[in-house]
Amino acid sequence: MIGMDTRGLQEIRETPAPTSIAAAILAVRALRKKIARKLIAGTIAATVLVPLLLVLAPEEAQALPAFARQTGQNCVSCHAGGQFPELTPYGRMFKMTGYTIGERALPLSVMAVVSSSRVRDTTKSDNPPADFAKNRAVTFSSASLFIAGKVTENIGLFSQITYDNYAEQAVAPDGVGAGKFKGHTNADNIDLRYADRFIDSNRDLIFGVSANNNPSVSDPWNTAAAWMQYVPVPSPSSSQFVDGNAPYPGYGSGGNVAGLSAYAYLNKMLYAELGGYKTANRGLSIMSAGINNAGTTKLKGTNPYWRLALTHEWGPHNIMLGTSGMIADVYDNPEDTSDPTSTHRFNDKGLDAQYQYLLDPHTVTAQVAYMTSKHRYPDSVANQPVNFVDALGNPLANTNTSDTTNTLRAKLTYVYQAKYGGSLGYFNRTGNTNTLNQTSGFDPATGLITSDPTGSLGAAELSTRVGGNLSGNPATRGFTYEAFWTPMQYVRVGLQYTTYSKFNGASSNYDGLGRDAKDNNTLFFYVWGAY
Amino acid sequence: MKRASLTLALALVAIGAGCSSLERSRSLANPSTPAKTLASQVCSNCHGLDGNSISPNFPKLAEQQQEYIVAQLNQFRNHRREDPPGFIYMWGISRSLTDDQIKGLAAYFAEQKSVSPGSGNPKLIEEGKQIFDSGLPAQNVPPCSTCHGDHGQGNGQFPRVANQHADYAVKQLTVFQQTEQRPDGVAMKVVTHSLSRQNMEAVAAYLQDIPPK
Repeated sequence: MIGMDTRGLQEIRETPAPTSIAAAILAVRALRKKIARKLIAGTIAATVLVPLLLVLAPEEAQALPAFARQTGQNCVSCHAGGQFPELTPYGRMFKMTGYTIGERALPLSVMAVVSSSRVRDTTKSDNPPADFAKNRAVTFSSASLFIAGKVTENIGLFSQITYDNYAEQAVAPDGVGAGKFKGHTNADNIDLRYADRFIDSNRDLIFGVSANNNPSVSDPWNTAAAWMQYVPVPSPSSSQFVDGNAPYPGYGSGGNVAGLSAYAYLNKMLYAELGGYKTANRGLSIMSAGINNAGTTKLKGTNPYWRLALTHEWGPHNIMLGTSGMIADVYDNPEDTSDPTSTHRFNDKGLDAQYQYLLDPHTVTAQVAYMTSKHRYPDSVANQPVNFVDALGNPLANTNTSDTTNTLRAKLTYVYQAKYGGSLGYFNRTGNTNTLNQTSGFDPATGLITSDPTGSLGAAELSTRVGGNLSGNPATRGFTYEAFWTPMQYVRVGLQYTTYSKFNGASSNYDGLGRDAKDNNTLFFYVWGAY
Repeated sequence: MKRASLTLALALVAIGAGCSSLERSRSLANPSTPAKTLASQVCSNCHGLDGNSISPNFPKLAEQQQEYIVAQLNQFRNHRREDPPGFIYMWGISRSLTDDQIKGLAAYFAEQKSVSPGSGNPKLIEEGKQIFDSGLPAQNVPPCSTCHGDHGQGNGQFPRVANQHADYAVKQLTVFQQTEQRPDGVAMKVVTHSLSRQNMEAVAAYLQDIPPK
């Protein structure tokens, strides 16, 4: 039982800032397309698979996904309260020792999600049929194939290939209706590792090396950027405001990059990891398989990632206090890396902590993660004029040369008997204002609010209203509530509600066209299954 | 490009295979893996390297009776022990162990030094001591010490209960009393028949920090 589709959403959250207002608008659309891409793949499979699993699957420890077959153990051995992907202390040891505990077994698992979401207000939109094409619809959101398991005594693999049933939304033929969605498959999380453990009465040292495609996917704690998000998440394009699309701490490089990290865990007390990430091309292209050249993050050189954590276990309690960071130089245009100065510099530093109380039948987890991200723009993006004007018709300030964004996530979860669970999550992103972030504003010609001041966009397949940003500020804040039921260990049914008190820098009228933050409140229902 | 990826993967596998050491193996299906290696590389994750588990979810095995550990691992392996900790964690872990590995594991944990996980409520402990030493004659509950020893040290097939996590002890007493999940512990079904929850908690609190011999 494994992690879910984290790569795509992280990529979406961390898409580099666009180079111009027009580019920004296009980027928003591209983002939506990515979101859509992520969401489509799961519905059919889940519709078919989940009932089949419910009826056919015998409830015993062996009948489980790849790692459970390998150890012969129940999911709750490694996943706290059975809620993937959060790990128990034993699950963390399983991961840190390279997925090598147990015996080699069929290294294949599948996972699928059927979901439905409902946004509070679907009228305040330039193009509701397109913006909310799948609102209230039951969708097969996504499906993943996992190749995972022990390879040798010291090498193990966790890899995920994800099909997103809603990967892309085409422009409607009439330019205003709902375009068709198209599915897409690509490499998701990959973590191939070598590990060894030297343990005796004097010391316990785990040492390992991980070849992976997402900074922190190698991390054993679930406050790491790659793992903290609520799962499952529907494809963002089919449901734009579910929790998975709300702010999370994340690294500027995003996922589908190629990295190598070395880690050590000493005396179950100190964890340290140091890694470097490069573009996933040429011989490393497997890390971004299925993603085209334009969609592949292009990094300049090797980009450092680090992680330190202190841990302690007492009775049924365990705690982790950690810090992490990454410096990434990301080319502005993935298709043109000829100019070494055309890079965005992301400097991300995070603090995180996790507390678990695990004593059958109770599982309590408290998590908090905070990340401050400094983003320095290349000259072609920094200090540029924008096409909007202020309400009086005066030019707006040029774009910033750099931005700082702070993201806080906190989550409290309780699970009873590894069957009935609930959680409360809080997110708060703050940051400085930048006219670059503005995706709607006053048109210099008409003085009216528009998202297309140059008139270059033509018919919009998605309105910029629901994703619009009039203030230029990224502040977004809200809560997520979830209740879930795990009738058997590889099936979960959940109901999630995400509320927004601030969105794109404002509580009300954040787009200048009348949409309020609370209009984005979203109810999300899902059925998840794995085998 | 694909060839380069394949080469890299094969090289890693080759390196991994070359560097593999049976002395540090985590393989549960290799009869050659020494029991001590399994104890330190696998069992220690939950039960502690010296058999003194930190979490009360997992029983302490230090100084446990060798004969008892052998019996339990066999019961896990052949699914005769069906209580939740048994099938959740131990069925899989034990499924491919050889008889020799089981004996070796039992010997390893029997040799460790047991440590108390800490003391509890003094009033409860006193009540538990009374039950442990003298039983509850009015309820036909015999003294625990009769089989488990004056200090809970156990004796052959009768397990050591001294220093066991109180939470684990209560849960197992409940399993004996209310289920058929441990058929080989049928004697305990009779013994626990009349115990109240309060009685169980009292005995468990006493056992957790029972004075050593």
